Amino acid sequence: MRRYVARRVVALAATLVFVSMLVFVVVRVLPGDPAALIMGTEGSPEAAARLRDALGLNRPLAVQYLEWLAGALRGDLGRSIQYDLPVGALIVTRLPVTLPLALLAAGFMVVVAVPLGIYAATHHRRGGDYVAMLVSQLGISIPQFWSGLLLILLFSVTLGWVRSGGFDGWSAGIWPALRSLLLPAVALGFFQAAVLVRATRSAVLDVLREDYVRTARAKGLPGRRVVFRHALRNALIPIVTVAGLQLGQLVAGAIVLESVFALPGLGRLALNAIGARDLPVVQGVALFVASCIVVINFAVDLAYGVLDPRIRHEAS
Amino acid sequence: MMSRSILVLLGIVLAVSGLAGAAAAQSPAALVVQASTEPPGLDLTATPASATAGVVLYNIQECLVKVDRTGKIAPWLAERWNTTDNRNYTFFLKKGVRFHNGRELKAADVKFVFERAMNPETKHPYPRYYEAIGDIIVKDDYTITFSLKTLNANFLLNLARQGSVIYPQEAVDTLKSAPIGTGPFRFQEWVRGDRIVLGKNPDYHVKGLPHLDRVTFRFITDPNAVLAALKAGDIDASLFGLGAEHVQELSKDSRFAIVVGDTTNDVILAMNNARKPFTDVRVRRAVTHAINKPDVLKGAMFGMGKILGTNVDPLNPYYVDMSGAMPYDPGRAKKLLAEAGYPNGFEAVLRVSPQYQYSVRTGEILVDQLRKVGVTVKIEQIEWGQWLSRVWKEADYDLTIIGHAESWDIANYANAKYYFRYDSAKFQELFRKSEVTLDDKARRELYVQMQKMLVEDAPAVWLYMHPRLAVTKKGVQGLWKDLPVSSADLAEVSWAATK
Repeated sequence: MRRYVARRVVALAATLVFVSMLVFVVVRVLPGDPAALIMGTEGSPEAAARLRDALGLNRPLAVQYLEWLAGALRGDLGRSIQYDLPVGALIVTRLPVTLPLALLAAGFMVVVAVPLGIYAATHHRRGGDYVAMLVSQLGISIPQFWSGLLLILLFSVTLGWVRSGGFDGWSAGIWPALRSLLLPAVALGFFQAAVLVRATRSAVLDVLREDYVRTARAKGLPGRRVVFRHALRNALIPIVTVAGLQLGQLVAGAIVLESVFALPGLGRLALNAIGARDLPVVQGVALFVASCIVVINFAVDLAYGVLDPRIRHEAS
Repeated sequence: MMSRSILVLLGIVLAVSGLAGAAAAQSPAALVVQASTEPPGLDLTATPASATAGVVLYNIQECLVKVDRTGKIAPWLAERWNTTDNRNYTFFLKKGVRFHNGRELKAADVKFVFERAMNPETKHPYPRYYEAIGDIIVKDDYTITFSLKTLNANFLLNLARQGSVIYPQEAVDTLKSAPIGTGPFRFQEWVRGDRIVLGKNPDYHVKGLPHLDRVTFRFITDPNAVLAALKAGDIDASLFGLGAEHVQELSKDSRFAIVVGDTTNDVILAMNNARKPFTDVRVRRAVTHAINKPDVLKGAMFGMGKILGTNVDPLNPYYVDMSGAMPYDPGRAKKLLAEAGYPNGFEAVLRVSPQYQYSVRTGEILVDQLRKVGVTVKIEQIEWGQWLSRVWKEADYDLTIIGHAESWDIANYANAKYYFRYDSAKFQELFRKSEVTLDDKARRELYVQMQKMLVEDAPAVWLYMHPRLAVTKKGVQGLWKDLPVSSADLAEVSWAATK
């Protein structure tokens, strides 16, 4: 197991270095000059040129990258061009929005999808299965921004139960903060749940056809016990794989939904930074998100070992 | 079964949270305003962004003189000024004006502000506005004289512009994140990505103002989200964020009031005068004759706005209505194209940025109209950052549509390097004269000549003035109807007693 973990850690570090290079190069290759964007159409080109120089954008790309990498290794992701604040501090201020949003959405996804998937599998080709698949199909088909707008229309505009958007911060109280995050979390989680329902259903269905399940049934175990003790545990590997991948996608989905719900989260920070060519922020957020996804995958890899003794033993 | 319980639980949580929300009633002296773009910093001496001006100009910081709601230059932090030779202007500062940090505004602050603006090291976005200034002499704490190296007809206007705001010299390092000024509102809080909050300045130098205790600018980019926020009552006003199509919808709703007014924003179809076939004036005139501007205004802006004939907007005192000078005449357009050697028309690419939805809609109408005279136009939508780089900076384009919001921006046509690439020595000379002609009648004559010359040379097609479109809850009063300057001056805004 130790060797297995060590191998994963090396892969994780290599991935992050590769991601950092990719992000840096892609961001620099993008057409669009940060200085021209700051100055807009009203500032003079001379003023833009002076600003470009002051921002250090005229230095060779390799020098800029190495400087940035050295800073990043020390925990310094640079300074935002737009806000004139450290990128790390900006990311930290956005986490109290994006992290709870992603966690709420993930919670919604798991709580809805896994039971629904099991239900569909155990009611294979019966009414319940078809309804579950229909709901899942709807979830996959409806774009997140659209389901977000529909939720706003129903719960904010028509019923007036929750705010249509914005976030006053956790200091304003747990309930008001949760209230701001609830609708986007549902919109975000709905799509992911729809995918996970299908994965769960198919994984459980596969296991239910196994001989040992038939044996368990034959020896007279109650159906619930067969499903939860024998089938689900063995079906968990593909479910955890899909759920892990989806956790990463939740962060990407947050970019769109944070705009629809006007939430000051990481996604909106990244989106604005791309529009404003705030290169240090784009790089910082991309690296941070990539790190999160790599770490999630790492955790999933470790979970395999915990869930499946064969992987544990093979690795060691 | 389980999913049903989750839905019930969700319903309960929403209902409980809804009750909590209902308890938090809005204060009658507070206003929540939507802003489409978050400012890229709050330092007006470092960025020309209209998003910054919308929050800071005339709300937090003010100038020696002010462009008022009618477009006239009015005394402000300077209660009066005099000049005998149009070269030496002496300003007499209003006494007792205090910055938000409590210190009184003195002439030394004014000197510091303008010397800093003139210093190239400070990267001020508009150094050219201060080029004419030679010396700045502080006579006493409330009297200051500007000596100009050359005559400058726009000197007073330049002192009213957003880059000329007065701030205390000790607060220069915090201008970007927490600006201090003399305005009716004090900066309170900026939650990046969400809102900027301003509070009332109790020591404001204009008695009785402001009416509001608190102003919150909330950043909502998506127009649909703005609509939802208005309808849900989460914001009180949208001053710039909604398009003509949304205003149409909200005008039918009795809960809202619509403000439609004039602006200095000229929406133009720019042609690259240095690229064939637009190097030929006959082609440029043909394009102008091929466009049915009333139809464009109807289709793109639901008829709101005003048709333009040149690049001087209706709020400018030297505006001449030239909208009928080059009328819609497809027959004439075809003839001109044939004379220029394009009897079967030509192909061109129109680059627009979807960030400005009106430009895309306008483009779609123009494509149809130009096709009728044989000009095949392909629309290419590019992101704003790319537009600035490729079109505006490098002039890598055939045609583009954009609104020019700056006032007095006829100057752009006197700059051969500007992205129009319009290079006319005669026009440049007329403009140079207009900059040093102080006599109003003579200057007006020069402006009339410049406008006529632009019509003749047709370096661009001036389509329409983008209207000021603001939506507020019923009861919000005191907003500027017209926008002669890029500011959302909220000093006189209040709620009607019935709120």
